[in-house]
Amino acid sequence: MAQSIPGARFVDPAILARIGNLELLARQVVEGFINGLHRAPYFGASIDFAEHRGYVAGDDIRRVDWRLYARTDRYFVKQYEADTNTNVNILFDVSRSMSFASRGLSKLEYAAFVAACLAYLAHRQRDRVGIVTFDTDIVAHVPPSAKHFDMVLHTLDRARAERPGALARPLGLVAEHFKRRGLLILISDFYEEPDAVLDAVKPLRFLGNDLIVFHVLDPAELDFGFEDASSFEDLESGEQVPVVPESLRAEYRRMIQEHVAALSTRFSEHRIDYTMLNTAEPLDRALFGYLSSRERLLRVR
Amino acid sequence: MSFLNPLLLLGLGAIAIPILVHLIQRERKRVVAFPSLMFVRRIPYQSVRRRRVRHWLLLAMRAGAIALIVAAFARPFLRRSAAAAAAGGGSRELVVLLDRSASMGYGDRWQRAQEAARQAIRSLAGDERATLVLFSRNAEENMRATTDHARLEAAIGEAKVGAGATRYGPAIKLAESILAQSPAPRREAVLVSDFQRSGWSGSEDARFPEGMTLTPVPVGDGETANLAVPSAAFQRASFSGQERITVSAGLSNKGRDPMNDVPVTLSIDGHEIQTQRVSIAPGTSASVTFTPFTLTEPNVRGTIRAGDDLLPADNVFHFVLDPSAPISILVVDSGADAGSSLYLSEALAVGSTPAFAVDVVPAARVVPEQLNGRSVIVLNDTPVPPAAGTGPLQAFVERGGGLLVVLGDRSSWPQNDATLLPGKVGPPTDPPGGRVVSIGFRDYGHEVFEIFKAPRSGDLTAAHVFRYRALEPSPDARVLARFDDGAVAGAERRVGEGRVIVWTSTLDDSWNDLALKPVYLPLVHQIVRYLAQYRQPRSWQTVGQVLDLAEPGRGTGERVIVTPAGDRITQDGETGLLELDQQGIYEVRRDEGGRDAARPQAIAVNLDPAESDLSPIDPAELVASVTGRAAAPAAAAAAAAPEATREDAERRQRLWWYLLTAGMLLLAAEMVVANRLSRREKFL
Repeated sequence: MAQSIPGARFVDPAILARIGNLELLARQVVEGFINGLHRAPYFGASIDFAEHRGYVAGDDIRRVDWRLYARTDRYFVKQYEADTNTNVNILFDVSRSMSFASRGLSKLEYAAFVAACLAYLAHRQRDRVGIVTFDTDIVAHVPPSAKHFDMVLHTLDRARAERPGALARPLGLVAEHFKRRGLLILISDFYEEPDAVLDAVKPLRFLGNDLIVFHVLDPAELDFGFEDASSFEDLESGEQVPVVPESLRAEYRRMIQEHVAALSTRFSEHRIDYTMLNTAEPLDRALFGYLSSRERLLRVR
Repeated sequence: MSFLNPLLLLGLGAIAIPILVHLIQRERKRVVAFPSLMFVRRIPYQSVRRRRVRHWLLLAMRAGAIALIVAAFARPFLRRSAAAAAAGGGSRELVVLLDRSASMGYGDRWQRAQEAARQAIRSLAGDERATLVLFSRNAEENMRATTDHARLEAAIGEAKVGAGATRYGPAIKLAESILAQSPAPRREAVLVSDFQRSGWSGSEDARFPEGMTLTPVPVGDGETANLAVPSAAFQRASFSGQERITVSAGLSNKGRDPMNDVPVTLSIDGHEIQTQRVSIAPGTSASVTFTPFTLTEPNVRGTIRAGDDLLPADNVFHFVLDPSAPISILVVDSGADAGSSLYLSEALAVGSTPAFAVDVVPAARVVPEQLNGRSVIVLNDTPVPPAAGTGPLQAFVERGGGLLVVLGDRSSWPQNDATLLPGKVGPPTDPPGGRVVSIGFRDYGHEVFEIFKAPRSGDLTAAHVFRYRALEPSPDARVLARFDDGAVAGAERRVGEGRVIVWTSTLDDSWNDLALKPVYLPLVHQIVRYLAQYRQPRSWQTVGQVLDLAEPGRGTGERVIVTPAGDRITQDGETGLLELDQQGIYEVRRDEGGRDAARPQAIAVNLDPAESDLSPIDPAELVASVTGRAAAPAAAAAAAAPEATREDAERRQRLWWYLLTAGMLLLAAEMVVANRLSRREKFL
């Protein structure tokens, strides 16, 4: 196994993009990320003590808590967190708007890095990993499995943003499809009204799934740093609008911030973790978002 | 500042292009892909905002570059004064050609010409040199290559109209030679004249090379009305032993209006003789004949004056008349036949210009004194007179006399003294076969036969010759005519100052019938005139002619010449050339043996008749002929501001090169700035 590179998570995603192999990339980022967490409360969470239960025949006598037997004279067996494997499903938006790139790295690529890193992290914790790519429909589906890590990476690698997207239909299908509760990671740029986004996302929560939402945005989408008057073409509809950026930049920035704030607020109201990712920033924010969510998932168990 | 191609300044409208591009072009050209326009669409579209220029620097550079390039192509040049141009390094050498021909005295042309010449001098910078050339028929440097402009202007003021005819060729050649020696970068000539067409034939070999400019300054006002007396004719008649002269004056009206009742006055020796009035139609000539007057003295001065107009010089015509002097001829015959000299003497009795005084003497009665004062001696079919002999005859000829030897049966010449004749005389010869011969060959190049050269000017071949004396011409003899059998009909030999002609057949009707032919009289007259070396006296000369006063027989004493202006010129007897450059009467006083002649010789000098024709030539045509280039603009010429040389013109127009370079540099800078801006806006 290759050694992880310390601080790789802080590396500019555009530089990371030079690593052609998603698994290698994810490993570099995640291992570096984990090694950098000194005394991380999350490390070894899977082998931490969770609870006692009464000994039944067949249990491994090595797991008997002898101290408790000395105090209570009853046999109890320790149960550990490592035993609580879960399904991790990545819902990956491959609508055409995800192909936008202002700095060389498209949102789709950035999202793929994030997804790969998360998948690697989950896989490393023995979680079952699956993926669903979608635009207006389901594009690819890899059911969660401990053995599907490679397929997940392959699906990510193969993902192309070619068609317009819409959240409601594919997410509805996903909600209907998943019967077992698990962790859902939704990665999209959410170019829909916040209410529509919530309407599309809420069904995913019905089965008790934990939902982490990553909102991927390019810096140009946030600050609208264009200078010259141009015709702007909507990547998904193809519509062109003459725009003088200077004249509407402030207004645009205000609107996108309101949009992000509205999404954040609405997701929080529904106990959905929301993280806005700027493709110009390193990947660690996404990993923190995931792990904090994972922690909460364990605590509420 | 002005522009050579001002129309190209319309290209400045191209400045609007970058402005429009800055305002509207960007949005048309670029399409920016954006993930979603859901927010953009919510913002009201403000097209007015689009018209705002953002990159003022770029816009200014682009507009500036276009303006500079357009200005460069419009070829700006600095319109500077000549002095300022000189200060810029282009010193000039100027030659002012000032026409002082007689026609410049027409109206106020001369005053205007002087002012134009002064203006040309004043256009010079302080250190620039100029030469003043006054010209008419000839050109002379009045002041050579000086920077003393005040003296030049003074010389122009002192110059006066002359009497010469206009000839542009010598003046232009002189200007060319002066300018050719000048090291100045700008070499210019200014021609101030009335541009008479008669002054330029087009065949003059006067050319300005590259680098020299000729600027015409016409001072004529287009008015050509002029009355002139270009000629006079004199009819001589003898009345009561006195010679009477009838003077006819020729007059010409060069104008477009008729001249009516013009008084024409004849004056002789300062006294008005008669005045007549005449009307002359426009563009025509007329003549006036005055009443005859008696001419008794030599060197009688006459003047004809006609009317008065803007050019008075050609309204006067001077002449000098002398009583006609007949050619004295001694005809010596044998005396045996009374009619042998009849035809000859009768032929010589006819004629007034000149008249002939003929004395016929038999050879036996000739005495040496009879040879004195004779112009021509004719030995008509006779031996050499015993009293005269060949020695006195030879002396007579060597002094300038003429000897005509007419050979016949009785002619003989001493065998041991044949040096006077042009050949050896042979015996009488009859043409072979009993036929007659005629004069087949005439030397038309000889003065005797020159008048018969033209067709129908006398048929010498009509005469039949039955017999002649053979003549074997000597090497130094010139055969004038031959019979058609090849025998010599006439031959000449020059001896000393005189001439000897031998005619090998008789001049009566014994050997030929020439005396019966119409050509006889002019032939005899021509032979006698030639032998007498007769020159018809000229009653007047033309300005510009040169006379040789040291003619033989005129004496070798000191001569004092008084010009019409009153100047006195003293000449010794050896050098007698006199250029007649004034109109009027020259007096020539000779010291002949310690006493002055009672009545001095007079020479009348008149204007060249061509000078009276004031019709002008187009100055541009003359300049084009001289320089091979078009003339300078008329306005510039009128201002007497000579055009700059090619080098100076190029220097004054060199501004375009700097403008173009600046424009290109601005474009390059614009490219750099635009690249930087576009790099900063790399999403676009």
